[in-house]
Amino acid sequence: MSVSYLDAINAALNEEMRRDPSVFIIGEDVGVMGGAFGVTKGLYEEFGPDRVIDSPLAEGIIVSSSIGAAMAGMRPVPEIQFVDFITPAMDAITQQAAKLRYRSAGAQTCPLTLRVCYGGGTGGGMYHSQTNTTWFAHEPGLIVVAPATPTDAKGMLKASIRQDDPVIYFEHKKLYRLPAIKEDVPESADFLSDLFHCAVRRPGKDATIVTYGFMLQPSLQAAEKIAEETGASIEVIDLRVLNPLDHETILNSIAKTGRLCIVQEDHRTLGIGSEIAATVAELAFDCLDAPILRVAAPDVPAIPAAEPLEQFYMPDLPKIMTAMRQLLQY
Amino acid sequence: MATKVKEPAAPAAAPKSAANGRPNSENPLISDDKLKQIYSTMVKCRLLEERARTLKKQARFKGNYYAAVGQEAVAVGAGIDLRPEDTVAPSHRDFILNFIKGVPLEIMFSQLYGRVTSPDKGRSSPAHCGYAPLNIITPASTIAAQLNIGTGVALANQMKKNDNVVVALSGEGSTSLGFWHEALNFAGVRNLPIVYICQNNLWAESVSVKLQTRVDDISLKATGYGFPGITVDGNDAVAMYRVAQEAIARARSGGGPTLIEAKTYRWYGHSEIDPAKYRSAEEVEEWKAKDPNAAMERYLTGKKLLSADWKQQIIDSFNKELDAAVEYAEKQPQAQPIECLDHLYSFDVRSRELDRKTCTPQY
Ligand SMILES: Cc1ncc(C[n+]2csc(CCOP(=O)(O)OP(=O)(O)O)c2C)c(N)n1
Ligand SMILES: [Mg+2]
Repeated sequence: MSVSYLDAINAALNEEMRRDPSVFIIGEDVGVMGGAFGVTKGLYEEFGPDRVIDSPLAEGIIVSSSIGAAMAGMRPVPEIQFVDFITPAMDAITQQAAKLRYRSAGAQTCPLTLRVCYGGGTGGGMYHSQTNTTWFAHEPGLIVVAPATPTDAKGMLKASIRQDDPVIYFEHKKLYRLPAIKEDVPESADFLSDLFHCAVRRPGKDATIVTYGFMLQPSLQAAEKIAEETGASIEVIDLRVLNPLDHETILNSIAKTGRLCIVQEDHRTLGIGSEIAATVAELAFDCLDAPILRVAAPDVPAIPAAEPLEQFYMPDLPKIMTAMRQLLQY
Repeated sequence: MATKVKEPAAPAAAPKSAANGRPNSENPLISDDKLKQIYSTMVKCRLLEERARTLKKQARFKGNYYAAVGQEAVAVGAGIDLRPEDTVAPSHRDFILNFIKGVPLEIMFSQLYGRVTSPDKGRSSPAHCGYAPLNIITPASTIAAQLNIGTGVALANQMKKNDNVVVALSGEGSTSLGFWHEALNFAGVRNLPIVYICQNNLWAESVSVKLQTRVDDISLKATGYGFPGITVDGNDAVAMYRVAQEAIARARSGGGPTLIEAKTYRWYGHSEIDPAKYRSAEEVEEWKAKDPNAAMERYLTGKKLLSADWKQQIIDSFNKELDAAVEYAEKQPQAQPIECLDHLYSFDVRSRELDRKTCTPQY
């Protein structure tokens, strides 16, 4: 049966809550309403108000109380409705969750999975469109994942919940119901996905695109178009995990293709592309046949709402095509 | 393009027997003209928001809209007598405060339509209207954050020894955030000239106020910060006006902050895409029966201050103003794509973004 990204997340939550009574959900509008986007639909009815907690409007306590509950043996799956509103929880995430294990030399830990809705291109404007993945990928101590397919959405969420570390799980709002990515998803209650490696979504030998999240879609389309136009074969790597980065898969690809373009929805400066480019320059300089390129949003504070401005901002197929032609012609 | 939005307030009639300063039938607390001004502004606010909702439903503009229909008495009571120098710190649901404070309708509809003539030139959500010339802070969406920024404006007003006040508005959901408590605490400590208006409309998206706070009256929370808190029927425009004006006058004269909890109700969903299935139809009907505009109408009728003609005249002439504003906004262009790179700093960064080998901005 063909499953949407949203239904895959919902199924993962349901299965893990059935399997483990210590798993619970907390967040704004997650209960009675089933979430702002309907991701937690039906869970309140099945598991009740004490395991699907409609929290007060306070991201700080949503995450902090999850950290405390995790320390005390629960497996919380808190939700942030829009990443744009995660800032009241920044102390909890960066100073507490990321550092608890380290500061207690491993004696205290907080295995929680913070689900965060992110991403632009929906006309949501400055405060309903952001992609702040880098803030978290910059924090050692956090595992940061961003699945791009329904199978990963399910398998990585289940694996995150079972993982003995704090995981920030980024789900892109434009993927939730995207028909093009619906797919068969393993139904076994013990289906888990790997949390540590990139996935090669399309093999190739002439150039590599590294991307994640919604940007995988235009990246795959670009690879297809380039193949039609020039016959060049582009390898497309889905990062899946933003921290800790899987260097090996990326370096192996560069060793083969010699050309790299990173596509990210986040703005350019110090985005994940900066780290990948630096790593490749440091560790695979001798493999490179062309300068590393990035397709990223411009360095402006957030995505403007008006269509012409949003379009200028968002990385998309035409922008990726321009970069890839440049990369291949070098 | 300036639109006159405020009914001219007639100069208060000189009290004839004000020897003891107390209100009586000849020296009312609120003049008849003020009562009529409050009513007509409420009617216009509703027409304005219903128009915005219709346009949204017709997909004439993009993004979302958060209507405060049902809450007009709160906004009008608090905002109607503010001076241009006073600051308003609005939430996502306070679009109409712009109108009440005197922002031209053309500008407000440009905001809805995300046109270059909008104050933010198409950057933010349609309902997030701010207006610097009248000291209305451009809202972010972060719930409660405007209270803290408004508190900083109040600090500056106090430092500058002027008598400007700040009115900071939010919903009951905002009281769960740390921001809210930090703002009130600081305002209490510094005795700042600010009025916090908590629009308790019982719901924060789908979450009942019962899940936000254990107390029945949010105004209680002011006690913990050392200044007055008062709960008022937010659907009673006269009560709301009196309470707000007293708090504003106290703030103006150095008496410090006030928290006003206005109990009210939003008639529609959280936004135009929310069917609001989490609450009962009975509850909605019960509150619609407490319509603040209808209540004010009854009050004015009882005082023989309202005629059907006058009411119709308000509606007809304001609908024409709305038509003109919509027409104006629809004719305006959107920003050029490249303008995405503007207004980051006091200096220009277009060239830096377009030619990435230059690193010196045009200071
Ligand atoms: C910090 C933060 N968290 C979450 C949201 C998403 N959100 C927008 S409005 C809203 C509910 C607000 O409720 P309330 O404060 O009662 O105001 P009302 O909408 O009722 O006017 C929520 C949760 C947000 N904008 N900011
Ligand atoms: Mg509310």
